[in-house]
Amino acid sequence: MADVRATKRALAPSRGSRPWTFYLLASLFTCYVIALYGPMICIYILSFQDVRGGLVFPMKGLSLHWFIDLFTQVRTGDVKGSFDRSIKLAILVTVITVVVSFMAAMAFRRRFPGDNIVFALMIGSLVAPGLVLGIGVGLLFNAIGIDTSPYGSALGAQLSWTLPFGVLVMFAVMSRFNPAWEEAAYDLGASAWQTIWLVFIPVLAPGLVAVALFGFTLSYDEFARTLQTAGPQNTLPLEIWSMTLNVTSPSLYALGTVTTIISFVIIGAALGTIVLIQKRRGARAT
Amino acid sequence: MAVLRGDIELAGLTKSYDGVHTVVQGINLKIPDGAYCCFLGPSGCGKTTILRMIAGHEDPTDGEIVIGGENVVGLPPVARGTAMMFQSYALFPHLSVRDNIAFALRIRGLSKEDRYRQTDAMIEKVRLTELADRLPAQLSGGQQQRVALARAAITQPRVLLLDEPLSALDEQLRVRMRVELQSMQRDLGITFIHVTHSQLEAIALADMVVVMDRGEIKQAGPARDVYATPRDRYVAEFLGGQNVFSGKVDAVKDDLVSFAAPQMQHIAVPVGASRVGKGDTMDVAVRRDDVELVRPGVELTADKSWLSSRVLAVEYQGNFVKVMLDATGSDEFVAYIPERVFFRDPYTIGDVVQATWPSHLARLLAKTTALTA
Amino acid sequence: MALSRSTVSWLYVSPLMLVLIPFFVLPILVVLVASVFETDGFGGLIPTFTLANYGTVLTSGLTFNLYVETVKFTVLTWFFTLIIGFFVAYFLVFHVRNPLLAIGLFLICTVPFWTSNIIRMISWIPLLGKEGLINSALLRIGLIREPLEFLLYSSFAVVVAYVHQLTIFMIVPIFNSMARIDKRVVEAAIDAGASRFDIMRLIIVPLSKSGVALGSIFVASIVMGDFFVTKVMSGGGSASVVGAFYEDISVLQYPGAAASAIILTVVLLAMVSLILRTVDIRKEITR
Repeated sequence: MADVRATKRALAPSRGSRPWTFYLLASLFTCYVIALYGPMICIYILSFQDVRGGLVFPMKGLSLHWFIDLFTQVRTGDVKGSFDRSIKLAILVTVITVVVSFMAAMAFRRRFPGDNIVFALMIGSLVAPGLVLGIGVGLLFNAIGIDTSPYGSALGAQLSWTLPFGVLVMFAVMSRFNPAWEEAAYDLGASAWQTIWLVFIPVLAPGLVAVALFGFTLSYDEFARTLQTAGPQNTLPLEIWSMTLNVTSPSLYALGTVTTIISFVIIGAALGTIVLIQKRRGARAT
Repeated sequence: MAVLRGDIELAGLTKSYDGVHTVVQGINLKIPDGAYCCFLGPSGCGKTTILRMIAGHEDPTDGEIVIGGENVVGLPPVARGTAMMFQSYALFPHLSVRDNIAFALRIRGLSKEDRYRQTDAMIEKVRLTELADRLPAQLSGGQQQRVALARAAITQPRVLLLDEPLSALDEQLRVRMRVELQSMQRDLGITFIHVTHSQLEAIALADMVVVMDRGEIKQAGPARDVYATPRDRYVAEFLGGQNVFSGKVDAVKDDLVSFAAPQMQHIAVPVGASRVGKGDTMDVAVRRDDVELVRPGVELTADKSWLSSRVLAVEYQGNFVKVMLDATGSDEFVAYIPERVFFRDPYTIGDVVQATWPSHLARLLAKTTALTA
Repeated sequence: MALSRSTVSWLYVSPLMLVLIPFFVLPILVVLVASVFETDGFGGLIPTFTLANYGTVLTSGLTFNLYVETVKFTVLTWFFTLIIGFFVAYFLVFHVRNPLLAIGLFLICTVPFWTSNIIRMISWIPLLGKEGLINSALLRIGLIREPLEFLLYSSFAVVVAYVHQLTIFMIVPIFNSMARIDKRVVEAAIDAGASRFDIMRLIIVPLSKSGVALGSIFVASIVMGDFFVTKVMSGGGSASVVGAFYEDISVLQYPGAAASAIILTVVLLAMVSLILRTVDIRKEITR
């Protein structure tokens, strides 16, 4: 971030009035942020209506009716079950994504025969249409005779999407790792494993948390690849999707509010962990 | 003579990355136990590659590295008894000074108590006690260097390898740290191998200087020998302090060589160990501080050589004055005149002078493949 | 015994390959195989080799319209996300003076990325609908008499939802490449008398190219592979290639769907490799 700071000073010296472009771009930025958050905030507000509530403003009353409705009504489907499955699946995906991305980024620090093929496959997996891939996985499992299930086929299909992301992020994280640290550890007698545990992982910890955050939210939100691979039991995004097609009550908004709260808890935990790691490193100094 | 634990011998050491170009070309060298040895050369001359091969961070394509009588090629650094101090130090950014220094002990499985006891003694030795809990990012360059030194020394290696250890420091600190490196080496009593591109650093520190060029050793020996009696033009020019010029030999008489070119007719150079014949083109080296300047017309004794020339530039250096002359055409010719002597009768640009030196102080250099500046 | 370096590298990437082969390479191959089979009309596949499915897909006017529609949404979305993303990143990197504030604003832009896409999409409904916030506001101030119909369940709504979801994919990579521009380069340009526009044209745009390329890959591949924003936000008025694919699958028309999917994938991969040819993404990221 240091270079960001420096560049900025160059173009916007701290003295003198701001150029007209500043005001223009500031307005653009403000509009963008309003458009980004405005609609979401609307549905959060609308989810707190009472029993008379509808899908649009004005607000009708204030209650938790639709939240209770969400978890008790049959009509809204198995929200609780899909929540449970989605979170478990996301945790599984997160752990695998962190470990596998870390290992892949270790390999990609230097060239090796076939590295371009691996890289191309990864990019292909990232950009391939999710639904097509999902159906491919479904047909494949069908052909081999394995039932599709959230923790089998859906897990794999989601990994084919979270891993390329995770590896790309790990590339950026790894580019800040000085290769001399690894050599220094070797010089001082560390084995390959000791170097990973005592040098790589602690140095890259904040980056690994970022990859975990990616893995979790990409999985928790994944839809296209999961649709044909989750089997008879829905994950949360599939549940939300079927609700968008047949539920026309603020229950839908209530579900939006609940998932957003969960997302925010996860983001908060991840950012908190990163801050904690940085702080613990800084604390010993002063 | 018995082989000591810190004796190093490089035999036919060769390194090639692509099988076509060799960065190190069959080096042979012996470094005695307890020596402070400097590898000196421009960047890309292969000196760092040699260091890394001795350390075990790179494998030689061919040849042997013998430390304390044992060929260590293929062994990991710890088994070699070497420790490396990296360029820019490579301190672990997430570990405090104490934990950085204790790293090797931790690897060896020492308990926290044991390793901190040993570490604290080392920390005291390098005067970092107050900073023991800091992270590397919060230290100055000089402090970081001391941590790096302590971290490498804690394993009690028999050889310490230093890769451009002073290059990350500013000029003043560099001079101070030079002194510290030297006293550290005396304290530890182990072999130091130090890679640098600065001849000042090499001369100031080393018992043994190894001058390198394009993967080959040009000259190796005590600092004073290499500086005062460079073997060839490359070494003379790289170490500085010498005027080097060449001329076609006219005659060899009474162990003195004279030259054909008209402006060199008053020059005589002792033959020394060289084999010289009429018609050979030879390089001659004259130390810049051996050169005196006199006004034209002053009588010179027969044991002196001289060149007539014009003053091109004058640079005041404090304790001496650097006078640049056009004496030898394309080659740079410089006289270092003591400050008091110069200002008794100062010269200005354009003055015609005679540059003179006692003939027996000039030296013929070994013929080299066309290595011109 | 020490393993050779490339063996170690392959050991490190083997878990990745263990995912990519069964969950990317094989499924695509399965779809490819299905695309040359015949259907028995009841969801079963007859293992033959026929290119008839491709013929049907390629000669159908319907498919052509689907592609036109999908490309239209892709281009529109790409255009708007690029413009907004570029200038938002530019504002954050070059106009916000306080570095902490810049990072804070950047985080504000990225937070919604971590929340559900579907929820973010449907959140436009109470705004854009016939009785939505925008229509009722316009009606109240008397700017319109009738509610605007084109706001929701229209191409407009589709583009709005896409831009809303995907601008972040432009902002992050462009921000990254802009942040790495050496300030001295910009200062040198100012010293040389470059105007604000010159700096933008000659320095900032060329040096942000890799970010733009990466962002474009993300946006284009997501829009082209998506079906469900089009389906919901157009209210059934527009279709997309993948949407039609999904419809085919649900009526068990596997071979036809597979042929169409293969064509789409080939188009997508061709586009991406074209972009990748202009910038070495791998080098850019690891730099």
